[in-house]
Amino acid sequence: MPTQQTDYFQLIYRLLLGLISAGFLWIIWPYISNVVLILVFAFLFTTVLLSSVDALEKRIRSRGLSVLIVTIGVLSGIGIFIGSFISQLSAQASDFSSRVDPTTLTAEFKNLGERFITALPGFAANMIPSGGDFASTLSGFVETVVNNLASLAGAVGNFVLNAAMILIFTIILLAEYHGFRKSLVSYISNKYFEIGLRLIFNIEKSVSSYLRGQFLSAASVALMSVIGLGILNLSGANLTLIVFIGIIAGLANLIPLVGPFVGMVPAILIAFMNNIGNEVALSHLLFGAVPSPFFILDIILMFIIVQQIEGNLITPTLVGKSVGLHPMIVMIALIIGGTILGPLGMLFAVPATGVLKVIGQEIAFVRRNAHLL
Amino acid sequence: MKNALWPNLFRGWNRTESETVYTLKQVPVFKDFSKKEFTELEKLVHHRTYASGDFVFKNRAPGEGMYIIMKGTIKITIGTRSGNEQVLAELEEGDFFGELALFDNEPRSANALAVADSELIGFFTADLLSLQDRNPQMTNKILMNLGGMLGERLRNTNNLLFEAQTKSNNDANTAD
Repeated sequence: MPTQQTDYFQLIYRLLLGLISAGFLWIIWPYISNVVLILVFAFLFTTVLLSSVDALEKRIRSRGLSVLIVTIGVLSGIGIFIGSFISQLSAQASDFSSRVDPTTLTAEFKNLGERFITALPGFAANMIPSGGDFASTLSGFVETVVNNLASLAGAVGNFVLNAAMILIFTIILLAEYHGFRKSLVSYISNKYFEIGLRLIFNIEKSVSSYLRGQFLSAASVALMSVIGLGILNLSGANLTLIVFIGIIAGLANLIPLVGPFVGMVPAILIAFMNNIGNEVALSHLLFGAVPSPFFILDIILMFIIVQQIEGNLITPTLVGKSVGLHPMIVMIALIIGGTILGPLGMLFAVPATGVLKVIGQEIAFVRRNAHLL
Repeated sequence: MKNALWPNLFRGWNRTESETVYTLKQVPVFKDFSKKEFTELEKLVHHRTYASGDFVFKNRAPGEGMYIIMKGTIKITIGTRSGNEQVLAELEEGDFFGELALFDNEPRSANALAVADSELIGFFTADLLSLQDRNPQMTNKILMNLGGMLGERLRNTNNLLFEAQTKSNNDANTAD
């Protein structure tokens, strides 16, 4: 049948075209990846800040001024947070170094290791290699850090440049967002115009609702972590930088599945740094029964409770199923994102999959209504 | 026969606003808009061109918004097969159609076909919703105007229905 033949030819042609495009993208990707990443970040920041700019524009009736005020506000917030975090952390670090000398540190590590091994059941204790020299590992690590200082400076420079580019692109996108969208849709042919407009609108809605949901849940995790850490502090955990640890836990929560565990690390480190040499903290028992040196298990339990409240109570109530992806799909997306782009890929994996889902739904919608276009 | 050269040559010579704003001003949906609001609206709407014989949309297709005719002629029809087609209206410059799609998610209830090369201005639900976030007063005006227009159409339909019923009752009485 001629129609069938044409269809096969069209299919093969499309397949070849797709393969050639994918191959071309594969070749040029190393050269454009940085720019693409900058644009993706700028787009995400724009999506997050767009509603604030629109709301401000509603009040002051000036788009430019709204963008300026929101940008200055966000930059000041980040600057104040990072500045005070660095100053407090350096104060904490100098206090830690004045209190602890390397010999005490090694002894504490050994002591801690022994306590852990004795607390563990026999089969689990046998799995941990004995005789680990923490002090030499630590000095090796310091040496590596010093040696890599030059490349670190380069990386910092690169980061600052990328951050500046993201900022510039975000400001431009925020100021010209509606015009930019209008010029983008003007390239769509008449036949697919309304459907294209609908697709863009749905993608925007999906991404912004996902991001808003993520930020709401991150804020709730941050707040609950601060409260939880405050309660632990009252029970003698001797924690400092509680607000910063809470905010970091909230930000880490933006990465699904892995983030919550990453969020615990600063709290555990601070607990360790503050309580080193403190015999009471070393021999602390959780619920008076389970050994929890330096309140580590208390902290982990607190974060698990926070995660459970956030995951089962707050997110379903406040956010709902913002993207509506199956957990299995989320995990696969995270693995793929993590493999391609590392932690950044994990951060973007879920919204990107959400966008793909919306595109898929719209393609299905277009196919159903193709005879009407 | 009237020569179209002179009106076209001097068309808009003393006009300070753009052709888009001039067209939008003729549409009752944007009644009582200030100059600034028309400028804002101009940034939002989409310009589309259609060759003679192109469909703007087809009956039962998903509808996303309304169109205003800037140039050309658009034929509104129902019935898909040739011969079965019924022309509902032929719209000219300044006329608009498809405005019901701004209110509901229902599919289009007729075909819109360009019978001459046409330039249309499109205003869609996505634009209305984005305008709502930034300028609710403008959105309110649009919705109030649309509501007013629909109310007027409903009143007209009621009058026609009433007239038809009266006529049918009179006919029945005469027959008795």
